[in-house]
Amino acid sequence: MNTNTRKKKRVDQIVRSIFLASTLLSASFIIIIVIFIVMKGITPFITDNDGLGVVNIWTFLTGTVWLQGTAFQSNLYAVGFIIVNTLYIAFLSLLLSLPVGVLTALFIAKIAPKRLAEFLRTIVELLASIPSIVYGLFGSGIILTFVYNLAELFGVQSKGGNSVLATVLVLALMTLPTITAVSEVAIRSVRKDIEEGSLALGATRTQTNFKVVLASAKSGIFAAAILGIGRSLGEATAVSLVAGNAKSGPNLGLFDITTTLTSTMLQGLKETTGVDYDIRFSVGIVLMIVILLTNFILNAVKKRVGNVNVK
Amino acid sequence: MSMSNKRKAIDIAYQAITYLASSVSLLALSMIVYFVWSNGSGLLNMDLLTKDYHAKYYNGEMVEVGDYSTTLRPSDLDDDIYYSEQYGIGLSDAKDREGNPIILVEYIASDSPMLKLADRNSEDIIALEEGMLISKVAFFDKATALRTFGAEYMVNELDSATDFREIVFTSLGGGIRGSIITTLYLIGMTMAMALPIGVFTAIYLNEFAKKNRITSTLRTLIDTLTGVPSIIYGLMGLAVFVPLTISVTPATSGNLISGSLTLAVILLPVIIKSTEESLKVVPDGLRQASLALGANETQTTFKVVLPSSIPGILTASLLGIGRVIGESAALIFAIGTAVKDDISIFGKSTSLAVHIWSMMTDEPANIELSSTIAIIILMIVLVLNITVKLLSKKFMKPMQ
Amino acid sequence: MDKQVFNIKNLDLYYGKFQALKNINLTIEKNKVTALIGPSGCGKSTFIRVLNRMNDLIEECRIVGDVHFHQDDIYHEKFDVIDLRTRVGMVFQKPNPFPMSIYDNVAYGPRCQGIKDKAELDEIVDKALKSAALYEEVNERMKESAMDLSGGQQQRLCIARAIAMNPEVILMDEPTSALDPIATLKIEELINDLKEQYTIVIVTHSMQQAARISDTTAFFLMGELIETDNTDKIFTQPKMKETEDYITGRFG
Repeated sequence: MNTNTRKKKRVDQIVRSIFLASTLLSASFIIIIVIFIVMKGITPFITDNDGLGVVNIWTFLTGTVWLQGTAFQSNLYAVGFIIVNTLYIAFLSLLLSLPVGVLTALFIAKIAPKRLAEFLRTIVELLASIPSIVYGLFGSGIILTFVYNLAELFGVQSKGGNSVLATVLVLALMTLPTITAVSEVAIRSVRKDIEEGSLALGATRTQTNFKVVLASAKSGIFAAAILGIGRSLGEATAVSLVAGNAKSGPNLGLFDITTTLTSTMLQGLKETTGVDYDIRFSVGIVLMIVILLTNFILNAVKKRVGNVNVK
Repeated sequence: MSMSNKRKAIDIAYQAITYLASSVSLLALSMIVYFVWSNGSGLLNMDLLTKDYHAKYYNGEMVEVGDYSTTLRPSDLDDDIYYSEQYGIGLSDAKDREGNPIILVEYIASDSPMLKLADRNSEDIIALEEGMLISKVAFFDKATALRTFGAEYMVNELDSATDFREIVFTSLGGGIRGSIITTLYLIGMTMAMALPIGVFTAIYLNEFAKKNRITSTLRTLIDTLTGVPSIIYGLMGLAVFVPLTISVTPATSGNLISGSLTLAVILLPVIIKSTEESLKVVPDGLRQASLALGANETQTTFKVVLPSSIPGILTASLLGIGRVIGESAALIFAIGTAVKDDISIFGKSTSLAVHIWSMMTDEPANIELSSTIAIIILMIVLVLNITVKLLSKKFMKPMQ
Repeated sequence: MDKQVFNIKNLDLYYGKFQALKNINLTIEKNKVTALIGPSGCGKSTFIRVLNRMNDLIEECRIVGDVHFHQDDIYHEKFDVIDLRTRVGMVFQKPNPFPMSIYDNVAYGPRCQGIKDKAELDEIVDKALKSAALYEEVNERMKESAMDLSGGQQQRLCIARAIAMNPEVILMDEPTSALDPIATLKIEELINDLKEQYTIVIVTHSMQQAARISDTTAFFLMGELIETDNTDKIFTQPKMKETEDYITGRFG
């Protein structure tokens, strides 16, 4: 009996330490990610890159040409314009997906008849589950053609439709289901008595929905927007198929070809080594910092907006 | 009265906007489905799933001159098929994706000498098969019949010669067997690594960890993984798992193991969260009852707590499989983009999703086959989604 | 002069199969405070929501009988609910200010009616806040969020919001149940002032409150209206045994 108890305790200890080890391992990956990407990513700035010379970090962060000179013979890399492009595209796509997503969420949560709401909810779930590569395929098959024709209508010869606009449209489409789903939860959790308060004042259902319900859900809607921006900034494969791979910029015209931090990392990946390879990790660091800063700033804004009056 | 009419009009306008906004989602989904179906359904058949992607070239010659076919032209052969009576093969003209003329093997008689040709590159016996392409037939005493001259010319030249020096033919390729096998390998290996670690972590956090600063730090570190874009995971795979696997396995480059390791890290937060949620539903009374009966922590965990959380773990697994199938950016870095037919877990190859990316970044992009793969991916994802929904309906309710 | 504001005859109300109100007959008189009392679940809150048709929001709810607001049958299919709710204001159990500025909260109702003129709105808001005895406290911070006010201030803001519509009747559904005694006292004083101008129907779970502020009291039990009379009479010489039991605290 006594030995049995002791054995049980030993097993407990062993199992417990296995669980603990798993947890420590799970928690360590984020640290591993940061350490290794930073280690590789700073290589171009602190070594002479096989005789090409150190990459200047200031020029790298502010320059307007991705690579001056030929690959493997130059160290003049720069992502300044790409940072601008990435943020520009992410915010433009939010400009499309946020209103559409919030209105769809309002429709599903408050306006649509039950059956239709359930149907639309399923549609949104399906859109959310489509992998980004399929959005990319759809983008390069349909959206590029659409943008190309649109550009022609304006008398602009676009590069096969590859453009800021095409990228924005693809990203807006990809973030739409996320924004809709999160906003819907926010709208549905608005206190019922606040709605009743508005109805009791003789406001119509629609007035109540647009003036009171949306205002009450704004913190959740803001969270949806932050999520959407995050996804836009980090999306890679779909963007790489429609951006057009601009070599210099910033590219602000809607029909101009463009490039983002992620699409730059994927460009020419198949045949490259040395600094041209390591520099992708540097772009990765920039991407992580851009995402982190954007999140930080938007969350700060969210806290301030949280209680300010909305009309 | 006019006031209330105006109000009604404004209300209707506002409502109309929400209808319009909602139709965007519906429109987007239908357009995506329509697009992949109209482009990809043409190639969708069982052959696609079992065939190689890369065309294979064969150089064959007759094993025994004079061993001709005696089969007459079958009556059900279409008019545009040219039939060589001597060799028992039916050929037709076609065009490849770039618009170049090709000669397609439509029919082979059962006694055709083309079914047992000597491979000029080895000692093997090779066979011409229906669906293959013939590039050229070279003769001993006359000009070569090239594919550019057409099927009719080739058949006539064959029938008027007793022997030929060489027949060059290729398998059509364009199959996705390799990418399917890769995807299955990735799913299996990723789940084998991520599931135990994820479930153990969830159990530790929910059952054993004390509520203190260290635990909440661990939790924060794990939660942070959720916000990391997959391309960053790819970079980590490239910087950590690729060199690691090269040093301890026969691999010499990115490989399926480094890919699976990377995917496992991506799945961890998903599995941990889903498992924890189902653990939270297990009433404390059950745990105490088990402990009161003299079971130790381990027995309680594995016999009482874990079985109750199986629906959550199952849901997490299905979501995980969906993520593995859809993931592209991380794998591009952690494995590579070379489409392969012979799959080894120590070598490069592409999952279905990366196969699409690889073809779409080629010149010219293969939209048809990409769409076909997209159909397959979408169907799998749809089935997974429905299963998850049914699971949550079936299991989540009676738990209390 | 029409002294009857609401006239309810043979009212039955069902939630699905459950009958929540049984054969209610009641008249509500102009510029009086009518208190509805009774144990919880007796149907008093359900009844007050009949008067501005807030029960319409509950899908399964079905009403039989006559409810007249002045001459109009408010459950007639052609009757304009929106119009009714602008003339019959309501204050809820828990303060429910909108997540907007104090000013926008009070201006909300008038704006919904299409009033856009800034000067006109300013006047309405000032007047309503003064009537609700809140003006002095919030005058300097009209643009601040209403969510930052204390619970009692929030409830008075909700009263101001109702007053801004210039209604004839104000319905109050246990307006002080979520407030502390001092805030409650302020609201009760306010109700006393308001009855000069408005007809007030108030649901309360506190008999002392009913006794302090109301002119008429109606006692509900199990979905039935047991007794209604002048408040003094109800509390001193109730006709019905059930009323007496409730008032003397023998149950409920």
